[in-house]
Amino acid sequence: MATRTALRRALPSIRSAITHPEQQSRFLRSFSTTAPCPAPNPSSSTPDYAIPDPSRPTHFGFETVTEAEKRERVAGVFTSVAESYDRMNDLMSFGWHRVWKDHFVASLNPGFSPLTSTSDPLGPQHILDIAGGTGDIAFRLLHTAHVLNRNPSVRVTISDINRAMLTVGKQRSTLLPAPQQAALSFVEANAENLSLTRPLHPYPSAAEPTTHDNQGNQEQAFFDPSTATSSIPDSSVDLYTVAFGIRNFSNIPAALREAHRVLKPGGVFACLEFSKANKHPLFNAVYKEWSFRAIPLIGQLVAADRDSYQYLVESIERFPSQAEFRDMIVDAGFVVAGEGYENLTGGVAAIHKGMKPRAE
Amino acid sequence: MVTRPISCSAGAAATRRMLLRHSRPINLPKRATASSPMYSPSTGTVRTITSSTSQSNNCVTTQRLRLPIQPSPIARSARTYHSYDHPPPPGPFTPAEASLLSTAYAHVPSHGFTPEALALGARDAGLLYISPSILPDGSFSLIRWHLHVQRTLLKGKLVEILGSGGGERMRVEDKVEALAWARLLGNETAGVVRRWQEALAIMAQPSYIPASLAELASLADEILYLAGDVSVDPSWYTKRASLSAIYAAAELFQTTDQSPGFRETRAFLRRRLDEAAQAGGAVRSVGEWIGFNAGAAVNVLRSKGLRI
Ligand SMILES: C[S@@+](CC[C@H](N)C(=O)[O-])C[C@H]1O[C@@H](n2cnc3c(N)ncnc32)[C@H](O)[C@@H]1O
Repeated sequence: MATRTALRRALPSIRSAITHPEQQSRFLRSFSTTAPCPAPNPSSSTPDYAIPDPSRPTHFGFETVTEAEKRERVAGVFTSVAESYDRMNDLMSFGWHRVWKDHFVASLNPGFSPLTSTSDPLGPQHILDIAGGTGDIAFRLLHTAHVLNRNPSVRVTISDINRAMLTVGKQRSTLLPAPQQAALSFVEANAENLSLTRPLHPYPSAAEPTTHDNQGNQEQAFFDPSTATSSIPDSSVDLYTVAFGIRNFSNIPAALREAHRVLKPGGVFACLEFSKANKHPLFNAVYKEWSFRAIPLIGQLVAADRDSYQYLVESIERFPSQAEFRDMIVDAGFVVAGEGYENLTGGVAAIHKGMKPRAE
Repeated sequence: MVTRPISCSAGAAATRRMLLRHSRPINLPKRATASSPMYSPSTGTVRTITSSTSQSNNCVTTQRLRLPIQPSPIARSARTYHSYDHPPPPGPFTPAEASLLSTAYAHVPSHGFTPEALALGARDAGLLYISPSILPDGSFSLIRWHLHVQRTLLKGKLVEILGSGGGERMRVEDKVEALAWARLLGNETAGVVRRWQEALAIMAQPSYIPASLAELASLADEILYLAGDVSVDPSWYTKRASLSAIYAAAELFQTTDQSPGFRETRAFLRRRLDEAAQAGGAVRSVGEWIGFNAGAAVNVLRSKGLRI
């Protein structure tokens, strides 16, 4: 496996860094020469994000690229890391991401219905896990609904723009109990336009075209809207989840509007995302230092793909603050409770929730 | 029936001393200044970071924390210790919360402060079973709703509680008693008396203790305010702390009271208020309300910036 090979290749240097501490600083420096360069200040002329426009400038980490380019590059990032993704997550968040995901799902309590009401008057719950990747969130949601809340009528759709991630997720799902597998479906879609989707065409596949990056390496073709065969209807979803996905979207307001469209009145938008730990300046400084230096390094060692992880770190830094993002959710037509968000681990991550109100 | 020793314990004097000692200005927990420049390693620039004060109950408590303990005669006439001068804090619930919680509240008598009640309430509001998952504190949000609703109801029922003159000729002590009793009766009207022990168990969860105690303090505030207590000396804090403790004990007593019309709860309330008046504000554990150690309670309150 590529990951293991990369790891094995990297191991001697790690070992020497540990056994020869005097070499360590040199070792670290050699990986941190590409200091992230500040992008032109985006706030001075805030573009109107209302209309998707493939040629509009957006951000790829700190580089400014067009939306179409960003989509392509993001797809590339997740293709190159899909396989080692789960392991990386552990390293990036010191294992916290599991705790966060568990808390996220528990706080949503999917599939809960009052014991006293015999049948569900509102129909079986449909959950849409956007940017669902390899299924971490979707599997947890299913487990809570089917096992803890004993509600096997709950269905979960995992959607992602990247077929490689979805294919890994589909493979992983074969380990689930049969009823849970039956309640799962996999859909290719760009979160910014959920009216153009198609069922997962597993990757790699001989029949599908692939693209190439500028070094000529093969990249997986991310979902091409012109191949769409179906769509997610208006007011058809009870719960829309997106975990560690939304900061990658080129047009976040468009994605929020789509979330609002597909949710039923009363439906819940729930987002788990890296956020700003600004409340604790010291912690924040240490975490930033860690993320900017160590995460790309680990990415290089584990996934042999430093640039991809550099992108991940920079995209986290670019993402709006908790309150700003809450305001974007409200602008999309959602209502919130309390502050509209909950900080996790000092704000390193945050959960945002909003409800689509009943039409008056 | 549960009987509890109701004499003033030897600890009361110590508690009183402690309460008095802390009725001085306390250094507030250092709050982040509105904006502080901060070096950002990512962009290599100095940025201004705006800190958001996320705890809404902070706003409630900090409003009351400005006063020196020995006000000059001028300050005395200009300011009082409690709510007179302060506009009511903004309602602690967003419209979305209010719509979910108000319908769920009707299900508390039959389902308690539970996810069931929340889900049934969402259905009544034309929403989904998943909708209550936006509430930041789940079932505890429903408890906060109850406490808030019952506390704010008192003001609108003043004539009913104190008579047509608004209790003009009543002693402050009697008005306090009448208001506390009216608040206890609110539990019965809302049908939550038999559900209150479950609620106390939820309130005793560490993350909910500060909000629970803040709400109790607000109730004592409200009662003293409505009773027209205008004292501006340190005894006000003692009174408020005593009233909190007595109310908490009476409410706990009420959960097991089988007597018609909660007669015994009323007698209990009277006895405790009389004792407090005689002892000049003897205090029993506030923490009794939510079943934990008073020292911890006081510390939590202080850490929240409350002066007790
Ligand atoms: C960091 S992964 C998160 C995976 C999973 N939710 C988790 O928490 O483990 C981010 C995912 O977002 C997907 N993604 C990026 N841009 C997208 C878009 N515009 N629409 C849908 N998915 C997108 C990527 O393909 C990737 O699978």
